[in-house]
Amino acid sequence: MTNDHDGVRELLAAWAVGALPPADARAVPLHLADCETCAAEAERLRATVRLLDGTPGPDTGASGAPGDARDGTARAGEGRGGRERAGGGLGGADGVLASALRSRRARTPGVAPHAAPYAAAVAGLQALVRELPGRWGTPVVHDWDAHATVAHLVAADEHLAVALGVGARLPASRIPAGTPAAYAWELRTADAIAHEHARTPEETVATWAAQAADLLATPEARDPSLAARAATVMGLRLPVADHFVIRAFEAWIHADDIGRALGIAVPPPPDEHLEQLVRLAVRILGVALHDAPPVLVEVTGTAPGTGWVLGSDAEPVAAELTLDPVDFCLLVGGRYAPDEVPRGLTGDERAARNVLATAAALAWL
Amino acid sequence: MVVPVEPTLEQPSIDVELHRRLVYGDESALREAYAAYGALVRRVAVRVTHSQAAAEDVAQEVFAQLWASPYGFDARRGSLRTWLSMLAHRRAVDWVRSEARHRKDAQADDSALHAIPDAGPGPHETVVDRERSLLLHTALAELPRSQREVVHLAYFAGRTYRQAAVELGIPEGTAKTRLRSALRKLAASLADPPDPAAARGA
Repeated sequence: MTNDHDGVRELLAAWAVGALPPADARAVPLHLADCETCAAEAERLRATVRLLDGTPGPDTGASGAPGDARDGTARAGEGRGGRERAGGGLGGADGVLASALRSRRARTPGVAPHAAPYAAAVAGLQALVRELPGRWGTPVVHDWDAHATVAHLVAADEHLAVALGVGARLPASRIPAGTPAAYAWELRTADAIAHEHARTPEETVATWAAQAADLLATPEARDPSLAARAATVMGLRLPVADHFVIRAFEAWIHADDIGRALGIAVPPPPDEHLEQLVRLAVRILGVALHDAPPVLVEVTGTAPGTGWVLGSDAEPVAAELTLDPVDFCLLVGGRYAPDEVPRGLTGDERAARNVLATAAALAWL
Repeated sequence: MVVPVEPTLEQPSIDVELHRRLVYGDESALREAYAAYGALVRRVAVRVTHSQAAAEDVAQEVFAQLWASPYGFDARRGSLRTWLSMLAHRRAVDWVRSEARHRKDAQADDSALHAIPDAGPGPHETVVDRERSLLLHTALAELPRSQREVVHLAYFAGRTYRQAAVELGIPEGTAKTRLRSALRKLAASLADPPDPAAARGA
Protein backbone atom coordinates (compact mmCIF):
# COMPACT_ATOMS: atom_id res chain seq x y z
CA MET A 1 0.00 0.00 0.00
CA THR A 2 2.88 2.39 0.79
CA ASN A 3 4.10 1.97 -2.77
CA ASP A 4 0.72 2.69 -4.23
CA HIS A 5 1.74 6.12 -5.45
CA ASP A 6 -1.25 6.68 -7.74
CA GLY A 7 -3.70 5.34 -5.19
CA VAL A 8 -2.46 7.63 -2.43
CA ARG A 9 -2.30 10.61 -4.75
CA GLU A 10 -5.99 10.16 -5.42
CA LEU A 11 -6.61 10.29 -1.67
CA LEU A 12 -4.70 13.47 -0.88
CA ALA A 13 -7.65 15.83 -1.24
CA ALA A 14 -9.80 13.67 1.01
CA TRP A 15 -6.86 13.49 3.43
CA ALA A 16 -6.45 17.27 3.41
CA VAL A 17 -10.07 17.83 4.46
CA GLY A 18 -9.96 14.93 6.92
CA ALA A 19 -12.41 12.79 4.96
CA LEU A 20 -10.54 9.49 4.92
CA PRO A 21 -11.93 6.28 6.36
CA PRO A 22 -9.49 4.56 8.79
CA ALA A 23 -7.89 2.09 6.37
CA ASP A 24 -7.00 4.79 3.87
CA ALA A 25 -5.87 7.14 6.62
CA ARG A 26 -3.10 4.76 7.65
CA ALA A 27 -1.73 4.44 4.13
CA VAL A 28 -1.26 8.14 3.46
CA PRO A 29 1.38 9.17 6.03
CA LEU A 30 3.47 6.08 5.24
CA HIS A 31 3.58 7.06 1.59
CA LEU A 32 4.16 10.75 2.24
CA ALA A 33 7.30 9.92 4.21
CA ASP A 34 8.73 8.26 1.09
CA CYS A 35 7.46 10.47 -1.71
CA GLU A 36 8.44 14.10 -2.04
CA THR A 37 6.05 14.80 -4.88
CA CYS A 38 3.07 13.62 -2.89
CA ALA A 39 4.32 15.35 0.25
CA ALA A 40 4.51 18.65 -1.62
CA GLU A 41 1.05 18.19 -3.08
CA ALA A 42 -0.29 17.23 0.34
CA GLU A 43 1.14 20.34 1.95
CA ARG A 44 -0.23 22.56 -0.79
CA LEU A 45 -3.74 21.14 -0.39
CA ARG A 46 -3.49 21.20 3.37
CA ALA A 47 -2.45 24.86 3.35
CA THR A 48 -5.50 25.59 1.23
CA VAL A 49 -7.76 23.82 3.69
CA ARG A 50 -6.21 25.71 6.63
CA LEU A 51 -7.10 28.95 4.92
CA LEU A 52 -10.63 27.67 4.36
CA ASP A 53 -10.70 26.85 8.07
CA GLY A 54 -9.61 30.36 8.83
CA THR A 55 -6.68 28.99 10.84
CA PRO A 56 -3.63 29.78 8.72
CA GLY A 57 -0.24 28.65 9.92
CA PRO A 58 0.93 25.14 10.69
CA ASP A 59 -1.51 22.57 11.99
CA THR A 60 -2.08 22.98 15.67
CA GLY A 61 -3.86 19.69 15.89
CA ALA A 62 -6.80 21.49 17.39
CA SER A 63 -9.09 21.37 14.42
CA GLY A 64 -9.35 17.95 12.90
CA ALA A 65 -5.79 17.19 11.85
CA PRO A 66 -6.13 15.40 8.56
CA GLY A 67 -4.31 12.33 9.79
CA ASP A 68 -7.21 11.51 12.05
CA ALA A 69 -9.25 8.79 10.51
CA ARG A 70 -12.97 9.11 10.53
CA ASP A 71 -14.25 6.01 12.18
CA GLY A 72 -17.89 5.49 12.87
CA THR A 73 -17.91 7.33 16.17
CA ALA A 74 -15.85 10.26 14.96
CA ARG A 75 -18.30 10.60 12.12
CA ALA A 76 -21.08 11.20 14.51
CA GLY A 77 -19.46 14.64 14.53
CA GLU A 78 -22.40 16.36 12.94
CA GLY A 79 -24.92 14.94 15.35
CA ARG A 80 -22.57 15.54 18.22
CA GLY A 81 -22.11 19.16 17.21
CA GLY A 82 -25.84 19.55 17.02
CA ARG A 83 -26.35 18.22 20.51
CA GLU A 84 -23.59 20.40 21.92
CA ARG A 85 -25.30 23.39 20.50
CA ALA A 86 -28.68 22.22 21.61
CA GLY A 87 -27.33 21.90 25.13
CA GLY A 88 -25.43 25.17 25.03
CA GLY A 89 -26.56 28.05 22.91
CA LEU A 90 -30.07 27.16 21.94
CA GLY A 91 -30.99 30.77 22.51
CA GLY A 92 -30.53 31.13 18.76
CA ALA A 93 -32.94 28.39 17.77
CA ASP A 94 -36.08 30.24 18.74
CA GLY A 95 -34.81 33.36 17.03
CA VAL A 96 -34.02 31.54 13.81
CA LEU A 97 -37.30 29.65 13.76
CA ALA A 98 -39.39 32.65 14.76
CA SER A 99 -37.90 34.83 12.06
CA ALA A 100 -38.13 32.06 9.46
CA LEU A 101 -41.80 31.50 10.27
CA ARG A 102 -42.50 35.18 9.69
CA SER A 103 -41.36 34.79 6.08
CA ARG A 104 -44.52 32.89 5.06
CA ARG A 105 -47.80 32.10 6.73
CA ALA A 106 -48.12 28.56 7.94
CA ARG A 107 -51.29 26.79 6.93
CA THR A 108 -54.27 28.14 8.78
CA PRO A 109 -54.34 26.48 12.21
CA GLY A 110 -57.42 25.49 14.13
CA VAL A 111 -59.55 24.26 11.26
CA ALA A 112 -61.58 21.06 11.51
CA PRO A 113 -60.33 17.93 9.71
CA HIS A 114 -62.65 18.50 6.74
CA ALA A 115 -61.05 21.89 6.06
CA ALA A 116 -57.45 20.85 6.79
CA PRO A 117 -56.78 19.65 3.21
CA TYR A 118 -57.91 23.03 1.87
CA ALA A 119 -55.76 24.92 4.39
CA ALA A 120 -52.75 22.84 3.29
CA ALA A 121 -53.51 23.19 -0.42
CA VAL A 122 -53.76 26.97 -0.03
CA ALA A 123 -50.38 27.04 1.73
CA GLY A 124 -48.97 24.86 -1.04
CA LEU A 125 -50.13 27.16 -3.80
CA GLN A 126 -48.78 30.14 -1.89
CA ALA A 127 -45.38 28.45 -1.84
CA LEU A 128 -45.63 27.79 -5.56
CA VAL A 129 -46.53 31.33 -6.60
CA ARG A 130 -43.18 32.46 -5.17
CA GLU A 131 -41.64 30.73 -8.19
CA LEU A 132 -43.84 32.56 -10.69
CA PRO A 133 -42.50 36.09 -11.06
CA GLY A 134 -41.50 36.48 -14.70
CA ARG A 135 -43.34 33.28 -15.69
CA TRP A 136 -46.98 34.25 -15.20
CA GLY A 137 -47.64 34.08 -18.92
CA THR A 138 -46.67 30.39 -19.14
CA PRO A 139 -49.47 28.36 -20.76
CA VAL A 140 -50.92 25.96 -18.18
CA VAL A 141 -54.16 24.15 -19.11
CA HIS A 142 -57.09 24.86 -21.42
CA ASP A 143 -56.20 28.26 -22.85
CA TRP A 144 -55.12 29.59 -19.45
CA ASP A 145 -51.76 30.91 -18.47
CA ALA A 146 -50.60 30.75 -14.84
CA HIS A 147 -52.29 34.07 -14.07
CA ALA A 148 -55.62 32.90 -15.52
CA THR A 149 -55.34 29.64 -13.57
CA VAL A 150 -55.25 31.55 -10.29
CA ALA A 151 -58.07 33.79 -11.54
CA HIS A 152 -60.07 30.62 -12.20
CA LEU A 153 -59.49 29.55 -8.61
CA VAL A 154 -60.87 32.88 -7.39
CA ALA A 155 -64.05 32.14 -9.36
CA ALA A 156 -64.17 28.48 -8.35
CA ASP A 157 -63.75 29.15 -4.63
CA GLU A 158 -66.28 31.96 -4.86
CA HIS A 159 -69.18 29.53 -5.23
CA LEU A 160 -68.52 28.12 -1.78
CA ALA A 161 -67.79 31.61 -0.45
CA VAL A 162 -71.24 32.74 -1.59
CA ALA A 163 -72.87 29.71 0.01
CA LEU A 164 -71.13 30.52 3.30
CA GLY A 165 -71.93 34.23 3.17
CA VAL A 166 -68.35 35.35 2.63
CA GLY A 167 -68.20 38.79 0.98
CA ALA A 168 -67.58 38.74 -2.77
CA ARG A 169 -64.14 39.63 -4.07
CA LEU A 170 -65.05 39.84 -7.75
CA PRO A 171 -67.51 42.21 -9.43
CA ALA A 172 -71.04 40.83 -9.24
CA SER A 173 -72.02 38.22 -11.76
CA ARG A 174 -73.89 39.21 -14.93
CA ILE A 175 -74.95 35.63 -15.42
CA PRO A 176 -78.77 35.32 -15.60
CA ALA A 177 -80.44 33.22 -12.95
CA GLY A 178 -81.46 29.83 -14.26
CA THR A 179 -78.37 29.35 -16.41
CA PRO A 180 -77.36 25.68 -16.16
CA ALA A 181 -74.70 25.17 -13.48
CA ALA A 182 -71.92 23.91 -15.72
CA TYR A 183 -72.39 26.75 -18.18
CA ALA A 184 -72.65 29.37 -15.44
CA TRP A 185 -69.44 27.95 -14.01
CA GLU A 186 -67.60 28.49 -17.28
CA LEU A 187 -69.00 31.99 -17.73
CA ARG A 188 -68.00 32.99 -14.25
CA THR A 189 -64.45 31.73 -14.83
CA ALA A 190 -64.29 33.64 -18.13
CA ASP A 191 -65.50 36.79 -16.30
CA ALA A 192 -62.91 36.31 -13.57
CA ILE A 193 -60.06 35.78 -16.02
CA ALA A 194 -61.02 38.85 -18.04
CA HIS A 195 -61.25 40.88 -14.85
CA GLU A 196 -57.99 39.61 -13.37
CA HIS A 197 -55.99 39.95 -16.58
CA ALA A 198 -56.52 43.68 -16.25
CA ARG A 199 -54.76 43.49 -12.89
CA THR A 200 -51.31 42.28 -11.90
CA PRO A 201 -50.75 38.61 -11.03
CA GLU A 202 -49.80 39.73 -7.53
CA GLU A 203 -53.18 41.42 -7.12
CA THR A 204 -54.93 38.28 -8.33
CA VAL A 205 -52.97 36.13 -5.90
CA ALA A 206 -53.83 38.54 -3.09
CA THR A 207 -57.53 38.33 -3.99
CA TRP A 208 -57.43 34.54 -4.14
CA ALA A 209 -55.49 34.28 -0.86
CA ALA A 210 -57.81 36.70 0.95
CA GLN A 211 -60.89 34.78 -0.15
CA ALA A 212 -59.26 31.49 0.87
CA ALA A 213 -58.41 32.95 4.28
CA ASP A 214 -62.02 34.14 4.64
CA LEU A 215 -63.29 30.65 3.80
CA LEU A 216 -60.96 29.11 6.36
CA ALA A 217 -62.11 31.64 8.95
CA THR A 218 -65.81 30.73 8.60
CA PRO A 219 -67.46 28.88 11.47
CA GLU A 220 -68.14 26.06 8.98
CA ALA A 221 -64.39 25.55 8.53
CA ARG A 222 -63.91 25.10 12.25
CA ASP A 223 -67.02 23.35 13.44
CA PRO A 224 -67.83 19.92 11.96
CA SER A 225 -71.45 20.09 13.10
CA LEU A 226 -72.01 23.34 11.18
CA ALA A 227 -70.26 21.81 8.18
CA ALA A 228 -72.62 18.84 8.21
CA ARG A 229 -75.45 20.87 6.65
CA ALA A 230 -75.94 20.37 2.95
CA ALA A 231 -75.33 23.13 0.45
CA THR A 232 -75.76 23.15 -3.31
CA VAL A 233 -72.67 24.54 -4.93
CA MET A 234 -72.52 24.50 -8.70
CA GLY A 235 -75.18 21.87 -8.97
CA LEU A 236 -73.65 19.51 -6.40
CA ARG A 237 -75.69 19.08 -3.25
CA LEU A 238 -73.26 17.90 -0.58
CA PRO A 239 -72.41 18.63 3.04
CA VAL A 240 -70.36 21.81 3.38
CA ALA A 241 -67.54 19.64 4.73
CA ASP A 242 -67.34 17.88 1.36
CA HIS A 243 -67.30 21.17 -0.48
CA PHE A 244 -64.20 22.11 1.52
CA VAL A 245 -62.55 18.87 0.43
CA ILE A 246 -63.45 19.66 -3.18
CA ARG A 247 -61.84 23.10 -2.83
CA ALA A 248 -58.66 21.37 -1.64
CA PHE A 249 -58.83 18.97 -4.56
CA GLU A 250 -59.14 21.77 -7.06
CA ALA A 251 -56.43 23.96 -5.52
CA TRP A 252 -53.99 21.05 -5.58
CA ILE A 253 -54.89 19.94 -9.14
CA HIS A 254 -54.35 23.46 -10.46
CA ALA A 255 -51.14 23.90 -8.49
CA ASP A 256 -50.03 20.64 -10.07
CA ASP A 257 -51.00 22.01 -13.50
CA ILE A 258 -48.90 25.10 -12.91
CA GLY A 259 -46.00 23.00 -11.61
CA ARG A 260 -46.07 20.77 -14.70
CA ALA A 261 -46.09 23.81 -16.96
CA LEU A 262 -43.06 25.23 -15.17
CA GLY A 263 -41.16 21.97 -14.71
CA ILE A 264 -41.62 22.08 -10.92
CA ALA A 265 -42.52 18.84 -9.15
CA VAL A 266 -45.53 19.65 -6.97
CA PRO A 267 -45.74 17.02 -4.22
CA PRO A 268 -49.08 15.31 -3.64
CA PRO A 269 -51.05 16.48 -0.60
CA PRO A 270 -50.10 14.92 2.75
CA ASP A 271 -51.27 11.28 2.94
CA GLU A 272 -54.11 11.92 5.37
CA HIS A 273 -55.47 14.64 3.08
CA LEU A 274 -54.99 12.55 -0.02
CA GLU A 275 -57.09 9.88 1.62
CA GLN A 276 -59.89 12.38 2.22
CA LEU A 277 -59.79 13.36 -1.44
CA VAL A 278 -59.88 9.72 -2.51
CA ARG A 279 -62.81 8.86 -0.26
CA LEU A 280 -64.91 11.75 -1.49
CA ALA A 281 -64.09 11.03 -5.13
CA VAL A 282 -65.04 7.37 -4.64
CA ARG A 283 -68.39 8.39 -3.16
CA ILE A 284 -69.20 10.71 -6.03
CA LEU A 285 -68.03 8.14 -8.54
CA GLY A 286 -70.18 5.52 -6.83
CA VAL A 287 -73.29 7.63 -7.41
CA ALA A 288 -72.44 8.01 -11.10
CA LEU A 289 -71.95 4.23 -11.43
CA HIS A 290 -74.97 3.12 -9.41
CA ASP A 291 -76.37 0.79 -12.11
CA ALA A 292 -73.12 -0.13 -13.91
CA PRO A 293 -71.57 -3.62 -13.83
CA PRO A 294 -69.91 -3.73 -10.37
CA VAL A 295 -66.15 -3.38 -10.08
CA LEU A 296 -64.00 -3.68 -6.96
CA VAL A 297 -61.81 -0.57 -6.80
CA GLU A 298 -58.76 -0.66 -4.55
CA VAL A 299 -56.77 2.50 -4.02
CA THR A 300 -53.32 1.69 -2.65
CA GLY A 301 -52.00 3.64 0.29
CA THR A 302 -55.38 4.11 1.93
CA ALA A 303 -56.14 2.07 5.02
CA PRO A 304 -55.12 -1.55 4.31
CA GLY A 305 -57.73 -3.74 2.71
CA THR A 306 -59.84 -0.77 1.76
CA GLY A 307 -61.77 -1.39 -1.39
CA TRP A 308 -65.05 -0.19 -2.75
CA VAL A 309 -67.47 -2.06 -4.92
CA LEU A 310 -68.75 0.53 -7.36
CA GLY A 311 -71.78 -0.34 -9.47
CA SER A 312 -74.97 -2.29 -9.26
CA ASP A 313 -75.76 -4.36 -6.18
CA ALA A 314 -77.65 -6.86 -8.29
CA GLU A 315 -74.72 -8.49 -10.06
CA PRO A 316 -71.51 -10.22 -9.00
CA VAL A 317 -68.27 -8.25 -9.13
CA ALA A 318 -67.07 -8.29 -12.72
CA ALA A 319 -63.55 -6.90 -12.32
CA GLU A 320 -60.97 -5.57 -9.89
CA LEU A 321 -59.11 -2.33 -10.41
CA THR A 322 -56.09 -1.16 -8.42
CA LEU A 323 -54.93 2.42 -8.62
CA ASP A 324 -52.35 4.60 -6.92
CA PRO A 325 -54.09 7.36 -4.92
CA VAL A 326 -52.38 10.20 -6.79
CA ASP A 327 -53.15 8.60 -10.16
CA PHE A 328 -56.73 8.03 -9.09
CA CYS A 329 -57.09 11.69 -8.10
CA LEU A 330 -55.50 12.87 -11.35
CA LEU A 331 -57.92 10.64 -13.26
CA VAL A 332 -60.92 11.98 -11.38
CA GLY A 333 -59.53 15.49 -11.80
CA GLY A 334 -59.48 15.01 -15.56
CA ARG A 335 -55.67 14.93 -15.77
CA TYR A 336 -55.40 11.37 -17.07
CA ALA A 337 -57.15 9.86 -20.04
CA PRO A 338 -58.93 6.67 -18.93
CA ASP A 339 -56.73 4.43 -21.06
CA GLU A 340 -53.52 6.15 -19.91
CA VAL A 341 -53.85 5.98 -16.14
CA PRO A 342 -51.54 3.33 -14.62
CA ARG A 343 -53.72 0.62 -13.13
CA GLY A 344 -53.85 -3.01 -12.11
CA LEU A 345 -56.77 -4.86 -13.67
CA THR A 346 -58.19 -8.33 -13.37
CA GLY A 347 -61.51 -9.62 -14.68
CA ASP A 348 -63.82 -8.07 -17.21
CA GLU A 349 -61.96 -5.34 -19.03
CA ARG A 350 -65.05 -3.60 -20.33
CA ALA A 351 -66.52 -3.19 -16.86
CA ALA A 352 -63.22 -1.80 -15.57
CA ARG A 353 -62.84 0.57 -18.50
CA ASN A 354 -66.34 1.86 -17.84
CA VAL A 355 -65.28 2.82 -14.30
CA LEU A 356 -62.19 4.62 -15.55
CA ALA A 357 -64.10 6.42 -18.30
CA THR A 358 -66.81 7.52 -15.86
CA ALA A 359 -64.18 8.72 -13.37
CA ALA A 360 -62.42 10.78 -16.03
CA ALA A 361 -65.72 12.26 -17.20
CA LEU A 362 -66.96 13.41 -13.80
CA ALA A 363 -65.83 16.92 -14.70
CA TRP A 364 -66.59 18.21 -11.25
CA LEU A 365 -63.59 20.48 -10.94
CA MET B 1 -38.85 12.07 11.79
CA VAL B 2 -35.37 10.74 12.27
CA VAL B 3 -32.56 12.07 10.17
CA PRO B 4 -29.87 9.43 10.40
CA VAL B 5 -26.30 10.56 11.01
CA GLU B 6 -25.01 7.81 8.78
CA PRO B 7 -26.04 8.27 5.20
CA THR B 8 -28.59 5.72 4.15
CA LEU B 9 -30.44 4.89 1.02
CA GLU B 10 -33.62 6.20 2.61
CA GLN B 11 -32.32 9.76 2.82
CA PRO B 12 -33.85 10.88 -0.49
CA SER B 13 -37.32 9.75 0.54
CA ILE B 14 -36.90 11.44 3.94
CA ASP B 15 -36.04 14.67 2.13
CA VAL B 16 -39.00 14.24 -0.21
CA GLU B 17 -41.37 13.79 2.71
CA LEU B 18 -39.95 16.74 4.63
CA HIS B 19 -40.15 18.91 1.53
CA ARG B 20 -43.76 17.87 0.98
CA ARG B 21 -44.65 19.01 4.50
CA LEU B 22 -42.77 22.29 4.06
CA VAL B 23 -44.64 22.98 0.82
CA TYR B 24 -47.98 22.39 2.51
CA GLY B 25 -47.17 24.82 5.28
CA ASP B 26 -46.51 22.38 8.13
CA GLU B 27 -44.53 24.31 10.76
CA SER B 28 -43.28 21.16 12.45
CA ALA B 29 -41.41 20.28 9.24
CA LEU B 30 -39.40 23.48 9.57
CA ARG B 31 -38.59 22.65 13.19
CA GLU B 32 -37.36 19.22 12.12
CA ALA B 33 -35.25 20.66 9.32
CA TYR B 34 -33.74 23.09 11.80
CA ALA B 35 -33.08 20.38 14.36
CA ALA B 36 -31.38 18.23 11.72
CA TYR B 37 -29.39 20.85 9.85
CA GLY B 38 -29.24 23.99 12.02
CA ALA B 39 -25.86 23.03 13.47
CA LEU B 40 -24.40 22.37 10.01
CA VAL B 41 -25.70 25.69 8.68
CA ARG B 42 -24.15 27.57 11.61
CA ARG B 43 -20.89 25.67 11.30
CA VAL B 44 -20.58 26.60 7.63
CA ALA B 45 -21.43 30.22 8.36
CA VAL B 46 -19.00 30.51 11.27
CA ARG B 47 -16.19 29.05 9.24
CA VAL B 48 -16.67 31.68 6.57
CA THR B 49 -17.56 34.68 8.71
CA HIS B 50 -15.71 33.90 11.98
CA SER B 51 -18.61 35.50 13.76
CA GLN B 52 -21.34 33.85 15.81
CA ALA B 53 -23.57 36.88 15.27
CA ALA B 54 -23.14 36.67 11.51
CA ALA B 55 -23.78 32.93 11.61
CA GLU B 56 -27.03 33.67 13.42
CA ASP B 57 -28.05 36.06 10.65
CA VAL B 58 -27.09 33.54 7.99
CA ALA B 59 -29.05 30.77 9.72
CA GLN B 60 -32.09 33.05 9.87
CA GLU B 61 -31.83 33.81 6.17
CA VAL B 62 -31.29 30.20 5.19
CA PHE B 63 -34.23 28.81 7.14
CA ALA B 64 -36.46 31.74 6.17
CA GLN B 65 -35.71 30.95 2.54
CA LEU B 66 -36.42 27.25 3.05
CA TRP B 67 -39.76 28.10 4.64
CA ALA B 68 -40.83 30.95 2.37
CA SER B 69 -39.69 29.32 -0.88
CA PRO B 70 -39.54 25.56 -0.36
CA TYR B 71 -39.61 25.06 -4.12
CA GLY B 72 -36.09 26.48 -4.21
CA PHE B 73 -35.09 22.99 -3.07
CA ASP B 74 -35.65 20.17 -5.54
CA ALA B 75 -35.09 16.70 -4.13
CA ARG B 76 -34.45 15.42 -7.65
CA ARG B 77 -31.29 17.51 -7.80
CA GLY B 78 -29.65 16.67 -4.49
CA SER B 79 -30.06 16.26 -0.76
CA LEU B 80 -31.49 18.86 1.58
CA ARG B 81 -28.28 18.66 3.60
CA THR B 82 -26.07 19.76 0.70
CA TRP B 83 -28.63 22.32 -0.49
CA LEU B 84 -28.80 24.01 2.92
CA SER B 85 -25.05 23.80 3.37
CA MET B 86 -24.40 25.39 -0.03
CA LEU B 87 -27.03 28.06 0.57
CA ALA B 88 -25.49 28.89 3.97
CA HIS B 89 -22.07 29.12 2.39
CA ARG B 90 -23.25 31.42 -0.37
CA ARG B 91 -25.01 33.68 2.13
CA ALA B 92 -21.98 33.71 4.44
CA VAL B 93 -19.68 34.71 1.58
CA ASP B 94 -22.10 37.51 0.70
CA TRP B 95 -22.09 38.62 4.33
CA VAL B 96 -18.27 38.82 4.46
CA ARG B 97 -18.16 40.70 1.17
CA SER B 98 -20.59 43.27 2.36
CA GLU B 99 -18.64 43.57 5.62
CA ALA B 100 -15.48 44.11 3.60
CA ARG B 101 -17.23 46.81 1.61
CA HIS B 102 -18.29 48.57 4.78
CA ARG B 103 -14.80 48.25 6.18
CA LYS B 104 -13.38 49.78 3.04
CA ASP B 105 -15.88 52.61 3.19
CA ALA B 106 -14.82 53.21 6.76
CA GLN B 107 -11.13 52.86 6.05
CA ALA B 108 -10.34 56.23 7.54
CA ASP B 109 -11.83 54.96 10.74
CA ASP B 110 -9.05 52.89 12.24
CA SER B 111 -11.34 51.35 14.80
CA ALA B 112 -13.06 49.31 12.09
CA LEU B 113 -10.03 47.07 11.81
CA HIS B 114 -9.96 46.42 15.51
CA ALA B 115 -13.61 45.57 15.42
CA ILE B 116 -12.89 42.37 13.52
CA PRO B 117 -13.86 39.58 15.85
CA ASP B 118 -11.34 37.09 17.21
CA ALA B 119 -8.32 39.09 16.01
CA GLY B 120 -5.46 36.62 15.83
CA PRO B 121 -1.80 37.47 15.22
CA GLY B 122 -1.28 41.07 14.14
CA PRO B 123 -4.09 43.14 12.69
CA HIS B 124 -2.37 43.43 9.33
CA GLU B 125 -1.62 39.73 9.01
CA THR B 126 -5.15 38.92 10.04
CA VAL B 127 -6.61 41.14 7.36
CA VAL B 128 -4.42 39.60 4.67
CA ASP B 129 -5.34 36.08 5.74
CA ARG B 130 -8.99 37.04 5.93
CA GLU B 131 -8.81 38.32 2.38
CA ARG B 132 -7.15 35.14 1.18
CA SER B 133 -9.71 33.08 3.03
CA LEU B 134 -12.55 35.05 1.47
CA LEU B 135 -10.94 34.61 -1.92
CA LEU B 136 -10.93 30.85 -1.36
CA HIS B 137 -14.50 30.72 -0.15
CA THR B 138 -15.57 32.83 -3.11
CA ALA B 139 -13.84 30.38 -5.43
CA LEU B 140 -15.48 27.49 -3.60
CA ALA B 141 -18.91 29.07 -4.06
CA GLU B 142 -18.26 29.23 -7.78
CA LEU B 143 -17.20 25.61 -8.27
CA PRO B 144 -19.47 23.45 -10.42
CA ARG B 145 -22.32 22.11 -8.34
CA SER B 146 -21.15 18.48 -8.63
CA GLN B 147 -17.78 19.39 -7.07
CA ARG B 148 -19.27 21.72 -4.51
CA GLU B 149 -21.57 18.99 -3.21
CA VAL B 150 -18.66 16.68 -2.46
CA VAL B 151 -16.69 19.47 -0.78
CA HIS B 152 -19.67 20.35 1.39
CA LEU B 153 -20.22 16.78 2.50
CA ALA B 154 -16.54 15.94 3.03
CA TYR B 155 -15.41 19.24 4.47
CA PHE B 156 -18.33 20.97 6.18
CA ALA B 157 -20.60 18.03 6.98
CA GLY B 158 -17.79 15.76 8.14
CA ARG B 159 -18.45 12.83 5.82
CA THR B 160 -15.73 10.51 4.58
CA TYR B 161 -15.39 10.49 0.83
CA ARG B 162 -17.03 7.05 0.86
CA GLN B 163 -20.03 8.29 2.82
CA ALA B 164 -20.23 11.30 0.51
CA ALA B 165 -20.26 8.96 -2.49
CA VAL B 166 -23.15 6.98 -1.00
CA GLU B 167 -25.06 10.12 -0.14
CA LEU B 168 -24.61 11.52 -3.63
CA GLY B 169 -25.26 8.21 -5.33
CA ILE B 170 -21.94 8.28 -7.21
CA PRO B 171 -19.00 5.82 -7.32
CA GLU B 172 -16.27 6.30 -4.68
CA GLY B 173 -13.71 6.99 -7.37
CA THR B 174 -15.85 9.81 -8.73
CA ALA B 175 -16.19 11.33 -5.27
CA LYS B 176 -12.41 11.23 -4.81
CA THR B 177 -11.81 12.76 -8.23
CA ARG B 178 -14.33 15.54 -7.72
CA LEU B 179 -12.89 16.38 -4.33
CA ARG B 180 -9.41 16.45 -5.76
CA SER B 181 -10.36 18.59 -8.76
CA ALA B 182 -12.17 20.99 -6.44
CA LEU B 183 -9.31 21.36 -3.99
CA ARG B 184 -6.71 21.75 -6.71
CA LYS B 185 -8.81 24.45 -8.30
CA LEU B 186 -9.03 26.23 -4.95
CA ALA B 187 -5.28 25.93 -4.39
CA ALA B 188 -4.70 27.32 -7.86
CA SER B 189 -7.02 30.25 -7.22
CA LEU B 190 -4.73 31.24 -4.34
CA ALA B 191 -1.61 31.04 -6.44
CA ASP B 192 -3.24 33.02 -9.20
CA PRO B 193 -6.06 35.12 -7.80
CA PRO B 194 -8.48 35.99 -10.60
CA ASP B 195 -9.52 39.35 -9.28
CA PRO B 196 -8.48 40.24 -5.75
CA ALA B 197 -10.52 43.41 -5.89
CA ALA B 198 -13.69 41.35 -6.14
CA ALA B 199 -12.88 39.52 -2.95
CA ARG B 200 -12.35 42.79 -1.14
CA GLY B 201 -15.81 43.74 -2.19
CA ALA B 202 -14.70 46.55 -4.50
